[in-house]
Amino acid sequence: MIKKTTHIQDSLKLLGAIPTIELPVPEFLYIATENARCPKAEIFIKEGDYVKLGQKIGVRHAAFFDQPIQATCSGTFVGYEKHYHRSGKLVNFMKFQNDFKDTWDESIHERTQEEIDALTKEDMIEIVKNCASVGLGGSSFPTYIKMQTTHPIDQILINGIECEPYINADHRTMLEDSEKLIEGIMYLQKAFMCHKALICIKSKYKDIDLALTELLKHYPDSGISVCKVKNYYPQGWEVNMIKEATGIKVETGKLPSEYGIMDFNVSTVVGIQEAIRYNMPVYQRRVTVTGDGIKVPSNFVVRVGTPAKYLIDACGGYTDDTNKVFILGGPMMGASLPSNDCILTKTVTSIIVLNERKYREEPCIRCGSCVMSCPVGLKPVEIMNTMRSMPVDKEKVKFLNPLKCIECGLCTYSCTSNIPVTDYVKRAKVIARLK
Amino acid sequence: MEIVKENAPHLRRRDNLSIMMLDVIIALLPTIIFTFVVFKLSALRNILISAATMILCEIVFVLIKSKPAYDGKKHEAKELFENFKKNFSINNILVPLVSALIFALIMPAETDPTYMIYPVLIIGSIFGMVVGKLIFGGTGKNIFNPAAVGMCFVKLCFGSTFRCPENNYYPSYTAGATGTEVTTGSTALPYINFAEGTFDLSHYSLFDLFLGKVPGLIGEICKVTILVGLVYLIIRHAIDWVIPLTILGTFFLDMLLVGLISYCGTVEGMKQNPFSFAAYELLSGGLIFGATFMATDPVTAPITRPAKVMYAALLGATTAIIRLFAALPEGVVYAILIANVFTSVFDYYKWSKEEFNWKNITAIASLILVPMLIIVWATCVRVF
Repeated sequence: MIKKTTHIQDSLKLLGAIPTIELPVPEFLYIATENARCPKAEIFIKEGDYVKLGQKIGVRHAAFFDQPIQATCSGTFVGYEKHYHRSGKLVNFMKFQNDFKDTWDESIHERTQEEIDALTKEDMIEIVKNCASVGLGGSSFPTYIKMQTTHPIDQILINGIECEPYINADHRTMLEDSEKLIEGIMYLQKAFMCHKALICIKSKYKDIDLALTELLKHYPDSGISVCKVKNYYPQGWEVNMIKEATGIKVETGKLPSEYGIMDFNVSTVVGIQEAIRYNMPVYQRRVTVTGDGIKVPSNFVVRVGTPAKYLIDACGGYTDDTNKVFILGGPMMGASLPSNDCILTKTVTSIIVLNERKYREEPCIRCGSCVMSCPVGLKPVEIMNTMRSMPVDKEKVKFLNPLKCIECGLCTYSCTSNIPVTDYVKRAKVIARLK
Repeated sequence: MEIVKENAPHLRRRDNLSIMMLDVIIALLPTIIFTFVVFKLSALRNILISAATMILCEIVFVLIKSKPAYDGKKHEAKELFENFKKNFSINNILVPLVSALIFALIMPAETDPTYMIYPVLIIGSIFGMVVGKLIFGGTGKNIFNPAAVGMCFVKLCFGSTFRCPENNYYPSYTAGATGTEVTTGSTALPYINFAEGTFDLSHYSLFDLFLGKVPGLIGEICKVTILVGLVYLIIRHAIDWVIPLTILGTFFLDMLLVGLISYCGTVEGMKQNPFSFAAYELLSGGLIFGATFMATDPVTAPITRPAKVMYAALLGATTAIIRLFAALPEGVVYAILIANVFTSVFDYYKWSKEEFNWKNITAIASLILVPMLIIVWATCVRVF
């Protein structure tokens, strides 16, 4: 059909109403030594050592930052095992045997209000850096680098939009941890010396709006307000969110901070609050387990490092014996893994198990749905045709500017002929980066 | 159970090519039913022959495509059949069926030697399918609308045999041999002749034109059924609404200007109410049918919105020019083929953009204004 796609069909709308279940911590937890952003790691402990919850056990090295690794349970370090990471690679994981005591590390202590009031921006950045807080919406970009900006900030935007279908982790966070969220925003307001903060939510989620507005009555003059944005995909993309909430258009290649805007994901703010209040790293997070291949879709609070199989068993397993697609992240942008033997890291928002569907690829009929739907104004069909022609015309690919693509997947989703257009655009990005 | 890996995104919109083609067929149904009621077996014959021929052409094409590559070994017929099954899908029937239905509906009910209708239908279908579509590589790769190519070819070769009998929905309607007036060419258009200076609107009322009580090609005459189809297609998003609306709008505007100038002019036969004249032109001939079902074919129309507007504006203006100044009374099919040529120009990657910027708007405006100026100039010279 020749039309612009703005909504993704969501078959599991009711999930947002299900309260989060706190699962017992499994016997073995796994922490990745390296991840997609940090290719090298240095580990301080050896096999057989006893670790405490929250203890710093190593450092990951990346190109321009270091990231401490913390244990997420108390127990014994057993050894290394290979498992799938969120990025789809086999990665070395440290295996810990849980002693079920949850002994906290000495560094974890509650700061009093006076202590917090005395913190400067630099102190906060240091705390956030030591607690290895990263963007929990899925980017895993270190928060402290974002906070180190020298541009004056005049508004903070909290991204609670969660535009991908099926996922409800942030939705539940806003309902269940709303006090932590507000406290976190107040710390950020203090750090950036700005008064205005907007919590952006989808206008269709009336419950969040009600809960947050009611709660904000207890914080008069806080400068925090709820901003309802339209429901469409990909509204959670920060450029779209900023445009809708503030009217400012962020140009490609520029940071929102250059326009005086700081944006954080809801879970990130809760993580920052825990870091500043208790000096606690992100040791647990909300995960949605859903999809038509899962028996009982649920929201869980789990420790970072829980194996995915454990969560699937907690949901009652798979529905039937047909082939499944196992996705970490949303169904539009998430990566599908070749095996269910993977470990939840900090940035996994959801596990989605879909029954495999076979689509028959038909010839492109140039309907233009991908061009209408593209949120960055590319012409995916033109890029696809260029990539299909042999040899590929590099100048043409560069002219079509595929580097603007945010890989939202709308071109494949809306394709009338079931062509995986996004794959061609991703390949075009590789070519466009070549000199 | 296995875990399979696939690339993101993992969801797909529910509609696909087959549904789109089915929608076009559903939109054509009212018109088809009308032709069955008015023309009875002639309509059925037109549709069956062209559908069978076009689908057969497509099947032969898929068979040729599925012949295994030469690798020194002998291939059995079974292998060819396996390949054929792999390459063949429901769309290989639906897409030619849509072309065939459109082609059948723009054919006359009768030909003068009655037997000539069979070669006309078969040759038109084969030419339209093979030259219009298959030699370019099949669905999605053609430059011209297959139905328009077929129609154009048979009109050039066998045009003098076409007969469009009068019809009044009367049950007593019998094929051309009865004493009723039999017009060559088509529709009510020959009564409007720019060169001879006659705009004779008295033969058919606008209401008759709207309901189809006029002679004409079988599918084109009843505007009510076509408009029902147009509304259905727009609601279902099977076509982009800007194309038919721009075509009809541009055409109406041009004709209105001609009517206005003629009204003020000195030629006695051309003094008509400009609005009735423009409406008469709009409702006669195949314009609404072409704008609804042929010009909107996504394969031969441009991709981006501004380009679609340019394409449609060019199409509407070309139709007006052909109708007024060409030797032919009917021009939509030729205008569609001409506009199809320019599709790739409008779609050229260096300037086609999805948003409307000043460059696009200038191009659209010039595509509307330049033909309009030609028409206005020619009319002024004629009437003053």
